[in-house]
Amino acid sequence: MFKNYLKIAWRSLKKQPFFTFLNTFGLAMGMAGGLLISLYIYDELSFDTMFPDAERIHRVNVDIKFGGDAHEYAVAPAPMGEALKNDFSEVEMVTRFRTQGSALVRKTDAETNTKEERTTFVDANFFEMFGIQMLEGDPQTALKEPNTLILTKSAAKKHFGKGSAVGKRVLLDNENTFTVTGVIDDFPKNSFLREYTLLKSMETYDDAKVVNWGSNNYHTFIKLIPSANVEDLQEPLQGFLGKYVVPGVQKFMPGITEEQFKAAGNHLIYSTIPLTDIHLHSHRVAEMNSNNDVQSIYILMFIAIFLIVLASVNFMNLSTAHSLKRAKEVGVRKTLGSNKTDLVRQFLVESGLISFLSMALALLLAILALPLFNTLADKDISIPFTDAFFWLILLGSVIVLGLFSGSYPAFFMSRFVPVKVLKGSGDNGIGGAKIRNALVVFQFAISIFLIVSTLVVYQQLKYIQGKELGYSKDQVLIINDVYTAGNKVGSLKEQIKQLAFVKNATVSSYLPTPSSRSNSTFNPEGELANPDYSVSMQEWEVDYDYAKTMDFEFVAGRDFDRNFGNDSSAIIVNQTAVKTMGFSPEEALGKRYAYKDNPESPTFYEIIGVVKDFHFDSLKEEIDALSIHLGDNNYAMAIKLKAGDFTNAISSIEAIWDNVVPGQPFDYYFMEDSFNDTYQSEQRLGNIFIIFTVLSLLIACLGLFGLAAFNAQKRIKEIGVRKVLGASVSQISVRLTLDFLKLVGVAILISLPLGWYAMDLWLKDFSYRIDVPLWVLGMAAFVGIAVAVVTVSYQSIKAAIVNPVKSLRTE
Amino acid sequence: MIQIQNLKKSFRTEEVETLALNKVNLSVEEGEFAAIMGPSGCGKSTLLNIIGMLDNPTEGSYKFAGHEVGGLKERQRTELRKGNLGFVFQSFNLIDELTVFENVELPLIYLKENKSSRKEKVMKVLERMKIAHRAKHFPHQLSGGQQQRVAIARAVVTNPKLILADEPTGNLDSKNGLEVMNLLTELNQEGTTIVMVTHSDHDSHFAHRIINLFDGQIVTESKNRAIGAII
Repeated sequence: MFKNYLKIAWRSLKKQPFFTFLNTFGLAMGMAGGLLISLYIYDELSFDTMFPDAERIHRVNVDIKFGGDAHEYAVAPAPMGEALKNDFSEVEMVTRFRTQGSALVRKTDAETNTKEERTTFVDANFFEMFGIQMLEGDPQTALKEPNTLILTKSAAKKHFGKGSAVGKRVLLDNENTFTVTGVIDDFPKNSFLREYTLLKSMETYDDAKVVNWGSNNYHTFIKLIPSANVEDLQEPLQGFLGKYVVPGVQKFMPGITEEQFKAAGNHLIYSTIPLTDIHLHSHRVAEMNSNNDVQSIYILMFIAIFLIVLASVNFMNLSTAHSLKRAKEVGVRKTLGSNKTDLVRQFLVESGLISFLSMALALLLAILALPLFNTLADKDISIPFTDAFFWLILLGSVIVLGLFSGSYPAFFMSRFVPVKVLKGSGDNGIGGAKIRNALVVFQFAISIFLIVSTLVVYQQLKYIQGKELGYSKDQVLIINDVYTAGNKVGSLKEQIKQLAFVKNATVSSYLPTPSSRSNSTFNPEGELANPDYSVSMQEWEVDYDYAKTMDFEFVAGRDFDRNFGNDSSAIIVNQTAVKTMGFSPEEALGKRYAYKDNPESPTFYEIIGVVKDFHFDSLKEEIDALSIHLGDNNYAMAIKLKAGDFTNAISSIEAIWDNVVPGQPFDYYFMEDSFNDTYQSEQRLGNIFIIFTVLSLLIACLGLFGLAAFNAQKRIKEIGVRKVLGASVSQISVRLTLDFLKLVGVAILISLPLGWYAMDLWLKDFSYRIDVPLWVLGMAAFVGIAVAVVTVSYQSIKAAIVNPVKSLRTE
Repeated sequence: MIQIQNLKKSFRTEEVETLALNKVNLSVEEGEFAAIMGPSGCGKSTLLNIIGMLDNPTEGSYKFAGHEVGGLKERQRTELRKGNLGFVFQSFNLIDELTVFENVELPLIYLKENKSSRKEKVMKVLERMKIAHRAKHFPHQLSGGQQQRVAIARAVVTNPKLILADEPTGNLDSKNGLEVMNLLTELNQEGTTIVMVTHSDHDSHFAHRIINLFDGQIVTESKNRAIGAII
């Protein structure tokens, strides 16, 4: 019997190539979309699971509120590791990372530096903690000694070619000599250590041994013993405040108690997060790598389900519409002794077959779309062809989708009454129009909802990227690693400033684009020990040209000026800072503030200027209090260019660089690009929305196209009669098209309010946001209607131009 | 074989109730060849559908081979139909996607016969209908007469007690029509009971008895003396 089902299914598909194409292609598009999203989600969920014992590894987090400013850190104080091991028997092992950003690397006998973008100090037990195998070197000793480092395979190859790297000496940042003691495999793309290529022994870093509970710089990972429950640690962890932190605070706030610390509105909360949760659940200051948001996974999951349901709905719709042609067969089969169950089985076999064909096509589509998808989603996903589990899941999906999509048509068709369908006239007893219409409404509602979402995401991105930030990010070229010029930094800057197309240049590590920075606590003169007067501000070291290069607007006071001899103890603050201090900009001028961490001999800074607030963090965040003072922090140089030929400007600047700093890589970028990078995840979301909006629209169109064809066929007699009675082609086509537009109208009424509500919710994440513009809703409705009109009118016109003699004869 | 008493069938739409059959009394004996005639809309096909257990009567009794089938559920009717009844339609109603062989094989599949027995029976009946050489063809590759021969082959392959034919020659030219009527006569002569609905006086003369319906009621019944006279 099964063979008979399969045979008739195959022949029936072959006999109706148009219908089979619409159905298979529609389902395949949904499946391909679902497959790609599933692979993406699988990749996101697999982060850091590759480490043996991953489920026993946790990272220590610190939430600090101090001086009116609250931050949640992914880093902990240096002595935290030791304290955890001493105080908790549940803690088997502790490993700390102290990340260092990029480093210039060269062999001691080489002239030219090459850059490693991400480096870190790490404790020697790193290998044991994360179960890392070494390709070369001994994990027991590799990072035990000071000035030793290990490289990843690709970094080792970059610096040493095919030869062995172990035992070789390298110079980092032109200053420190290290010995390579090992080579490990590159870290997997889905691990928190991806992009880290050079790991130095923590023994090298003296700060790691200093017992300072006031500064948080160490990513601290703990591995628990197998029987331990991490929840049991949370409560006792809070005891660290009284036991370790408060004694440290007492150095600059003598006599302060834990109670007083808390009573002043401060807090310090320690917590842990499982290693495998970090990627999707942790968004703290100083993460080791950029993390994703679990919300985007949920959104994608919804999109995947939407797509597959859309495609299934398409299938149901087309199949039931198409059942007109199958009615006779059902009637005959029933007459010959087939019961409902037999027929349901037969149609399910048929939908299973289409589902199978669709999956094969979907795989092909996914393979073709994968490179584009990877680019848009910023991933490196591949289809796991060799994984038996993958095929099993695929097969399961084919069966489930075949059953799901085929269920309604199967039960629908098996209910045909032979007496009616075998007559071969009238409506053949085929109903279900209401359900088909509801399904079309459902499909279009989802498509229009997605159009609204896509437009809003892009409008918000446009708003962010075009927002007046309070400084000028355009035409600003940034050169990294300026410190490699040593004492020639000043001369480098002056030579560059002389170039005709350079407006100004400044040297500083602090750029007004989002990056991880930390805050310092200041107290006013006379209230040094009083936490009530503490103000937490960002503290940037800059040079005299900083404010001019960035085009800051002063609301009170003045910029740093070489003509004032004592500007070395002057600070410029932003409006938010003076508001926190409780002054107006004018009142703030002349006020003196000092750092808290040097209570014995405080250095006072006098406020000489107040700049208008500018956005130096993501627009998702409120503007933080900020202070700027002079210093010789010289990591990067920002060069404001005049409008013109940037290529020429860059090559002239590079020529000066090569002259002043020979052998050092010229590493530059435009500030605007770095700014745009901040919104990568929104950009990605926008891109993904676009793909799937187009896909959902296509699927909906395929369905509508098929349904319009069915409708035209069903009404062929009516059309003939109307034409005989004098209706014109246009009247008939409009009439047929309008029937579908009514459905799209209902879809619009459902989806616009939903789309508006959902996107308003999404926008709530941004401190600076647009309101959902009305034109977006109008545009989505228009696109929905336009697409439906184009889809349906082909079939409508085709039906309307048929000679009535022919159409009436079909009865 | 068929005993129908006071049978009523009405169709109800929202406002109107149409009486398609009204107090019909009819019996058909085993081995009989009965023709039901009457103008369009008189209830011929409705009566045939009820006899064929494709439809239930609204009132009255219908006994098939001694079993009351009037109030049976669809599933029960299906079971009773299988193997006992064969249908021949005006528009042949062959399944386009199946070959001649597969179309004829279908009722045997529903009877769960094994493959070799199916093959034997199908080939035998196809040979008898002189269509075996077309076994692998699809219906659209055959002429109307050939298609109806296949339909008859399908109706008789299970060796049913009763064949119901609804205007079996309605879509055929006179030559093919005659061929079909001869086949039905042959089957009847071998013992199969046949009830045929027809518009054609010519065809009705092949039957033993002619039942005339008008407005849902049997108005006359006449015995046909000159069976096969026009052959």
